[in-house]
Amino acid sequence: MKLIKSIVRPNKVDEVKAALEKLQISGMTVTEVRGHGKQKGHTAIYRGQEYNVSLLPKMEVEVVVPDAMADDAIRAIIEAARTGEIGDGRVFVIPVGESYRIRTGEKQS
Amino acid sequence: MTIAVRKEDFRYDTLRARHFGGSRLDAPQPTMAEANTSPRPVTYAGRFAAARQELMAASGRGEGGRNALRQYSHRMDALVQQLFADAGAASHAVAVFALGGYGRRELCLHSDIDLLVLFATAISAEDERFLHAFLNPLWDLGLTLGHHVREVREGATLENDNPEFLLALTDARAIVGDAALLEQFFAVSDRARTATRTLAALKSLIAERHARFNDTLYQLEPDLKEAPGGLRDLFGAQTIAMLTDPGLLNQGGAGARALEDAEEFFLRVRSILHLESKRHHNVLGHELQERVAEVLRYGGSTPRQRVERFMGDYFRHARSIDRSLRWALKAAPAPVGRNLVRAADGIRFVDGRAASERPETWLRLFQAAIDGGCGVSDDALSLVQQNAGRFTPEEFLPTAAHRDALLRFLKPRAGLYERLSEMHDSGLLGQIIPEFKAINCRVVRDFYHKYTVDEHTLLTIRNLERLIDPSRPERERFARLLGELAAPELLVLSLLLHDVGKWTDEDHASESTRMARQLFDRIDLNDDARAVVEFLVSEHLKMSVVAFRRDTEDPEIVRQFAELVGVEERLKMLCLMTLADVEAVSRETLTPWKEELLWRLYVDTYNYLTLSYSDEVIGPGVSVRADLIDGRPADLSAEQISQFLEGLPRRYLQLFRRDAVYRHVRQAQHLGLDAVQAWLEPSNSGWELTVLTHDKPFLFSNVSGALSSFGMDIQRGFAFTKPNGIIVDVFHFTDDERFLELNAGGDAQIVKLIEDVLARRVDIAARLKGREEGILRRRLPVFAPVIHCDNEASRRYTIVEIVAENALGLLYRVSRVMSDLGCDVDLVLIATEGRRAIDVFHLTRNGQKLTPSQQEEMTDNLQRVLEGRP
Repeated sequence: MKLIKSIVRPNKVDEVKAALEKLQISGMTVTEVRGHGKQKGHTAIYRGQEYNVSLLPKMEVEVVVPDAMADDAIRAIIEAARTGEIGDGRVFVIPVGESYRIRTGEKQS
Repeated sequence: MTIAVRKEDFRYDTLRARHFGGSRLDAPQPTMAEANTSPRPVTYAGRFAAARQELMAASGRGEGGRNALRQYSHRMDALVQQLFADAGAASHAVAVFALGGYGRRELCLHSDIDLLVLFATAISAEDERFLHAFLNPLWDLGLTLGHHVREVREGATLENDNPEFLLALTDARAIVGDAALLEQFFAVSDRARTATRTLAALKSLIAERHARFNDTLYQLEPDLKEAPGGLRDLFGAQTIAMLTDPGLLNQGGAGARALEDAEEFFLRVRSILHLESKRHHNVLGHELQERVAEVLRYGGSTPRQRVERFMGDYFRHARSIDRSLRWALKAAPAPVGRNLVRAADGIRFVDGRAASERPETWLRLFQAAIDGGCGVSDDALSLVQQNAGRFTPEEFLPTAAHRDALLRFLKPRAGLYERLSEMHDSGLLGQIIPEFKAINCRVVRDFYHKYTVDEHTLLTIRNLERLIDPSRPERERFARLLGELAAPELLVLSLLLHDVGKWTDEDHASESTRMARQLFDRIDLNDDARAVVEFLVSEHLKMSVVAFRRDTEDPEIVRQFAELVGVEERLKMLCLMTLADVEAVSRETLTPWKEELLWRLYVDTYNYLTLSYSDEVIGPGVSVRADLIDGRPADLSAEQISQFLEGLPRRYLQLFRRDAVYRHVRQAQHLGLDAVQAWLEPSNSGWELTVLTHDKPFLFSNVSGALSSFGMDIQRGFAFTKPNGIIVDVFHFTDDERFLELNAGGDAQIVKLIEDVLARRVDIAARLKGREEGILRRRLPVFAPVIHCDNEASRRYTIVEIVAENALGLLYRVSRVMSDLGCDVDLVLIATEGRRAIDVFHLTRNGQKLTPSQQEEMTDNLQRVLEGRP
């Protein structure tokens, strides 16, 4: 299993969700996050004064998928979230050892 | 002019008669029903003597108490009515009112007669004659007359009137004439201030009087009227209760029953004093004590025993009065408005029964609570709840003044949410605004909302109100926007209406808009306000959609959103509306993350509206332009309108209403190269100057300098330059020195100066010199000015944004620096937010953007000018 953690533009969440659902991946966690990547935010100007916007609002979408589906899922996320501009975000893939369903205690591997 | 008719007897006032040459008004005749039905006496003296005889007899029997004095007052009324009828007609409506003790129907044998003669309008020579004819016989009867002559309009300054007159007025009672005049007299007064001053005067008179008696009621030879625990104290306690809470004397002190007994006792004794001493004498000396004890048939074998028993009763009654007065002074609620007081449990009506019949006064109850930072009392809320259903929406807001008061009430302030909630819970809000009733306890099931629609709506207002004193530093930026709004009450009105359409499951924004329009008609909202509220209600979901679900880094998305909002004021309102609305969905909905997205969209859109609008010029495809052409007046052709609009920024169409555009088109026709079309009009909060002419160097700075030379404070404005060189400059300014108010033809003087300055007949720099030196000498600015040059935001222009402390002539000075450097000032946006002036200039030099070194030179020069350096 792989945990795929994607940091995407807020307005791209719906498209990412739709793309994952197309792959029958429906369980996911979506979190509002703030951060910056390589671009380190940017400088904005309001009423003649510059101010630094270092932590940009982003969305984090987390899904856990079987190893066999990981590549398809990663590709789907990237395609859905890409605009080609700076600030499109990142996808992290982390191996998952074990997983349990809390309601039943059933182990999934 | 002041004329004393007979000086020897007047106490507070002289008889004031004014002569006005010429016209006599055919005023309605005073009503004299009572006077005409009374039997006519043989003589005034005979009638007066009979009345006195009756009272003397009663006093001699020790029965000169309340009933006897009422009877005597009644007979005096009949006499006054007869005199009034016999005095002939006054030229205007007039009425006579009894004041003080006579007003209370407690006229004693040798008491003064206090009268108020109230005229509907200014007193004429004919009225003066009437006054002589009416008052002279009263003096001839040997009465001690205290008379006050007033005109209804003088009610406006009532609060500053003689304090003794104010006190006497609390007992005013109509005797003859048009009784409604007194209500008109009070209607133009500031009732809360008058009541407060009356109370203050009463308290200070009581303190002074008590001090004269060493602050003790236990006097061996007491003055029945003046001494502590005497009649004046009794009337004082009754007056405090009447002005603040009629039930006050039942709630504490000696109690109402004990006071009645005390009053009867004191009046009977006083009548005996007047009878025995044959004059206005109220001191109960030792000899008179024996006589009174005898008349009142006190038991005892010796005069001394009888006196001791009588004086025992005297001190018992005096103690009752003293106790009640102390209670009244301690417990009386403070008057806060007409028929309104602030009690321990909140604002309440003084006279609930009267209030229950006057629904138009109820909003003041809630306004007073907000003003006083307190709640509305439970009994007032019950009264509202029990009676609200009896009245139509129009009866709550019968006049334009009442409708304006509703808008003022909606200004976001601490306490507004709580008061609106009280109004809603008591059914009042739904009666005044029936549209709101449609969402009463309305449940809409979705995954987000946690509250009923009505409460969600009220919570949006609470959220806005909380911005006034923001709890977190991140909120301060939004709080500043709220502080900058010209009409924040329209935002509250929009919030109140934004979800009323949720009574249906259909598209609620459209339904809310439809319902809002009904309200606009009912409250007769002006066109500008309607447009704002309608925009906010119909578009209230748009900003959250764009901020949270669209790619706001895409300039096209921001451009489209900027086009939707059009101008900065609407952007600020929509931004705050979105913030308040999202936060009212549930406690968790508005995260710092969402706040950041919202703020970023605000900033991007604001920058677009102020910096990038120059790139969007009016072309053939703009639909507003088609509307303008289709709806044009007969004297303008489609071509004239098209030609005028061609090349102007699209923003122009969002700033001006249709009639203003047509006027600009009209004035621009055949505008010669040196011609100037300029006009001044009053605007909402000041004046508006419009100038159409051909561009020339220093034009903007000369026009703004001309206004400043008259002391005008420029608050907002725009300058547009068309590609063909015609400029349209509009300045909104306030006339703090009241030049236009004090100088007839002042507007023509301003226009003339502008023409002279533009034609170089007058040197504006010289004219402004004195004023400028005064300003620059005054003090250093509170905050450092900000100057920012931008060559990116616009394709054609260098943009200079200046944020500085607002000062007279600021625009003149900064635009002069630009012109001095050879820049063309093509577009200007002027805004003032509190003490901060925010001015954005679009410049070119020889048709090009400024180079970095030119920008640097200009920034240095601007900095120097803004810091007041030579």
